[in-house]
Amino acid sequence: MSDQSNTPVPEPPDAEAQTRIGVDSWVAESEDRQARKRGFFGPAARGWDASPDPVKLFLFIAVAGTIPFWMNEGDLFVYGLFTVLYATLGLGLNVVVGFAGLLDLGYVAYFGIGAYGYALVSSDHYGIHWPTLASLPAVMVFTGLIGLGLGLTSRRLVGDYFAIVTLFFLQAFLVFTNTANPVIHGIGLTGGSSGIGNLDPLEFFGYSLTSVKQQYYFFLLVLVLATAGLYFANRSRTGRAWRALREDPLAAEVMSIPVNRLKRLAIVMGAALAGLCGAIFAAIQTAVTSSNFTLNVLIFIFAVVILGGIGSIAGPILGAIVINVSFQFLQPQNDHPSIKRWLFYGAIVLFIALMKPWYRAVVVLVGTVAFGLAVHAIVSATAAASWTAGTVTDAGSGSAGKAIADWVVIPNQTLHGGFATYAYIGLVVLVCVVRSVTGWWRTVVLIPTLYMAAVVWENVLAPNPAVTAEILFGVLLIVIMTVRPQGLIGTARVEII
Amino acid sequence: MATPEPKPEPRPLLELAGVSMSFGGLVVIDGLDLVVNEHEIVSVIGPNGAGKTTLFNLITGIYSPTAGEIRLDGESLVGMPPHKIARRGAARTFQTLRLFLNMSVIENVMASQYGQTKVGIARAMLRTPAMRREEREIRARAEEKLAFFGKRLMGYRWDQPAYSLSYANRRRLEIARAMATEPKILLLDEPAAGMNPTETHEITELIGQLRDDGGYTILLIEHDMHVVEGISDRVVALDHGVKIAEGSFDAVATDPRVVEAYLGTKAASTK
Amino acid sequence: MHPLLFSVVDNIRSLGWGGAFQLLRNGLVLGSLYALIALGYTMIYGILKLLNFAHGDVYMVGAFLGYGILTRLNGPLNLAIGIVPAIALMFAVAMAGSGVLGVAIERFAYRPLRNAPRIAPLITAIGVSFFLENSVQLLTNGFQYTYDPFELGKTGNEELGPLYHTVFSVAGNPVTTVQLLVVGSALFLMTALVLLVSRTRFGKSMRATAYDREAASMMGIDTDRVIAMTFFIASMLAGAAGVMFGLYLGVTYYFMGFLAGLKAFTAAVIGGIGSIPGAMLGGLIIGLVESFAIGYVGGQWSDIVIFGLFILFMLFRPRGLLGSRAIQKV
Repeated sequence: MSDQSNTPVPEPPDAEAQTRIGVDSWVAESEDRQARKRGFFGPAARGWDASPDPVKLFLFIAVAGTIPFWMNEGDLFVYGLFTVLYATLGLGLNVVVGFAGLLDLGYVAYFGIGAYGYALVSSDHYGIHWPTLASLPAVMVFTGLIGLGLGLTSRRLVGDYFAIVTLFFLQAFLVFTNTANPVIHGIGLTGGSSGIGNLDPLEFFGYSLTSVKQQYYFFLLVLVLATAGLYFANRSRTGRAWRALREDPLAAEVMSIPVNRLKRLAIVMGAALAGLCGAIFAAIQTAVTSSNFTLNVLIFIFAVVILGGIGSIAGPILGAIVINVSFQFLQPQNDHPSIKRWLFYGAIVLFIALMKPWYRAVVVLVGTVAFGLAVHAIVSATAAASWTAGTVTDAGSGSAGKAIADWVVIPNQTLHGGFATYAYIGLVVLVCVVRSVTGWWRTVVLIPTLYMAAVVWENVLAPNPAVTAEILFGVLLIVIMTVRPQGLIGTARVEII
Repeated sequence: MATPEPKPEPRPLLELAGVSMSFGGLVVIDGLDLVVNEHEIVSVIGPNGAGKTTLFNLITGIYSPTAGEIRLDGESLVGMPPHKIARRGAARTFQTLRLFLNMSVIENVMASQYGQTKVGIARAMLRTPAMRREEREIRARAEEKLAFFGKRLMGYRWDQPAYSLSYANRRRLEIARAMATEPKILLLDEPAAGMNPTETHEITELIGQLRDDGGYTILLIEHDMHVVEGISDRVVALDHGVKIAEGSFDAVATDPRVVEAYLGTKAASTK
Repeated sequence: MHPLLFSVVDNIRSLGWGGAFQLLRNGLVLGSLYALIALGYTMIYGILKLLNFAHGDVYMVGAFLGYGILTRLNGPLNLAIGIVPAIALMFAVAMAGSGVLGVAIERFAYRPLRNAPRIAPLITAIGVSFFLENSVQLLTNGFQYTYDPFELGKTGNEELGPLYHTVFSVAGNPVTTVQLLVVGSALFLMTALVLLVSRTRFGKSMRATAYDREAASMMGIDTDRVIAMTFFIASMLAGAAGVMFGLYLGVTYYFMGFLAGLKAFTAAVIGGIGSIPGAMLGGLIIGLVESFAIGYVGGQWSDIVIFGLFILFMLFRPRGLLGSRAIQKV
């Protein structure tokens, strides 16, 4: 043991390794564990894991780069550009939340400050028209400084206080831009609730980015550069220090890592990236209003990061794709009415199908249908006709709509207004009950719960898709944190209790 | 016994003078004087609650003493934040292990080199040649520190997550991580806790090697008297935050005040 | 900013003493409400070290429950029972309902994350808050529901009217029943809480659990139950505040919890998070600051003024007025 220079570096053990001194069984089985990723997506997951990181990025660029060729402009704007925007925002938030472990609830304010900052230096509002090569960096620096300021106030930079300070900052920002709108040099600084319009488009060396395709490629470039930059940062001493500070801030501090300085660095970088996104976003929209920077947007970005997995770099990109695509798909203006319905019922059937063992799934499926038919029959027979007289929203093809109307109890909305509320509350209570019981009881309670979910969907959720989306975000956050905190692609972490 | 040959007059490396620490009304350390000379191995013993870990916390800057002075190589450490103290040359391990569990073994040892290195995030993102060179150096230094422990933390082990290590290996990793800060003095908080006799023997030898081959000065908290006996140049006994004895192991072990504090004889101390 | 300063001085002068008294009166009422909500925040933080973002929304639900009872009793114009039983019933249902909601939130959203890193329950709390706000928005179609008191005052209808009658005046500035009711109930509830925490055995187990959860459970305290009860009491207080807000200002809407929660949390921090007298003091301060800010600086700046106050505390006294210095045990 003393002549370390001659110690041979041992080979990794093969899968059938006997337990030897110096080799424990957990290590010996590591190869098996890697191979064992099972399930439906097993081969894909294994392939993804095996490929080196530059390949993954290249694949992403290849796929993302070809999208403008087969998508029309309207769709590209909604599904392409916005996805890239949210992915970049998610990347920035991930630096603060994932690397430094700070809950920055004012993150969307940096996005807004970047947008307003750009608006002030690239429009007729004050007649200032900086070239893009100057305005973008300037906005980034300005936003970064604001982040630094906020970081300095939370002296102890303990997560809890920082969360509240930033949330309050967001509120202050919204009030400032929307209502306060102080008059400077003769006109309101922020344009109040109507915001600032007629912004200059992005222009590089005389070349203006005015079409959606151009803007998409530019933003994609920004995303790729940010991803690469953060990837390299993660593998450097700064990245290690961030990860160490996330693991155990006290131990990190004692191991020569200046914790507070690194937290501030993360905040500044996240803020600067958000500011850049804001500036680009404002230029693309050619206008900026405070309605783009509300709490809803903040939750959206959080959902993107959480779904992908806190702390992973590819996570926000995946999260943005999943969430933005589904969200935009369900928007009223991109409406595909009956598809929404099939998505919902499809999700329920998928949920049932994922239950093991298979006979439990069958019991639940059959039971739910039967239960529904029974309830519907009882209600039609005993109560007034108005209880089942309501219409199915977006009925789509006649027979499907009629089938649903015969299964789900949909009362006439005007006569039985309170029904929706009671059904909703009933559903929440039932879900709580399902979570509390186990075994066969859970299967039994699941049946009325699923039926109630359909009732609530038809009566309350489907007619109000915008609010439903927000509710789903809230639920998504709760479910992911309690069930799979590492997100979709994150690896499960070991926490010191 | 691992007493080295007599060296030229001992140079004090760590000096504590009149150090006191209280939390609210509770006095945990009271007027403590302690000197650790260069290349010495000093053990601190005492029953639980005597203030030993608090002492380490004071030296490494986690707490600030309510009175007194702490000097490392002549420079005062009082009021300095822990990360600066680490750079000045005081590194420690923890009684309850505090590894970076989700990071790999080698990353743990690379992370603690932060204070010795200087490439910033800008150069890191651009992957400049200077950054790549420094990364190689960091990695080499980490491998060198891990090699101190023989085969146990080498090779394929480097990329295993720290939580996959056995208990004894985790303790070794923590020592390696502390070594990577290139300290002048190593503060080891119960390094032999929870180890079986073979491992305890290994650790005792290891501490000796740290001083002989590595040239570190070591301040050690330990309950296991076999370790203390086997390795210390000097022993300091604390009880209720006050130094009650100091000297060679035999002198301290037979000191009636120490025996009384422990309520037992040397033979009854924990294995 | 000169014009702003001038307008502030202008306002102070034009409002005079009568105006100042009104602002003081309003501030005390608002402060009582904030104190009640802040108490909930501080209790939950004290016992779980968790910022319960959803607390403000529990307050909002309480307001709606009270409103629901009011309409069940055939509304403000036609009360089926007398005014005093009506109000008592509103309080009872709102408090009980909010309490149950709080316990459910703890049980299903926070308890699974007891041993998770600190950031996890915070994120879940945001999810719960968002879920509650939007659910209520969904179910109420985003309407603002009025408790309709002023209408009564005007038509002279005697059902809820007595609530808004002047009890006494100070230099011509009226103090109404409802204002006294709010401040009085708040004082009553706060006193009851302080007595509970300091004099009863249950209060002792609450304090023990807040101090060191593991040790408390080893001493035979059922920490899960203590935590559930804490959430119940905290949410109950918030529900009461919600009903009172509805009676006082006459409106309930799905978003009222967010801003009130934010300010109440600021109050809890300013008073010293984890300290019950601190929450009461902080609530009072925030209520007064807000009231005077609205009066002297302008409604659109009052939130920013409070934010500024919060930042000042963060910079110079993060532990709040009555909070204790946190000691980290290594």
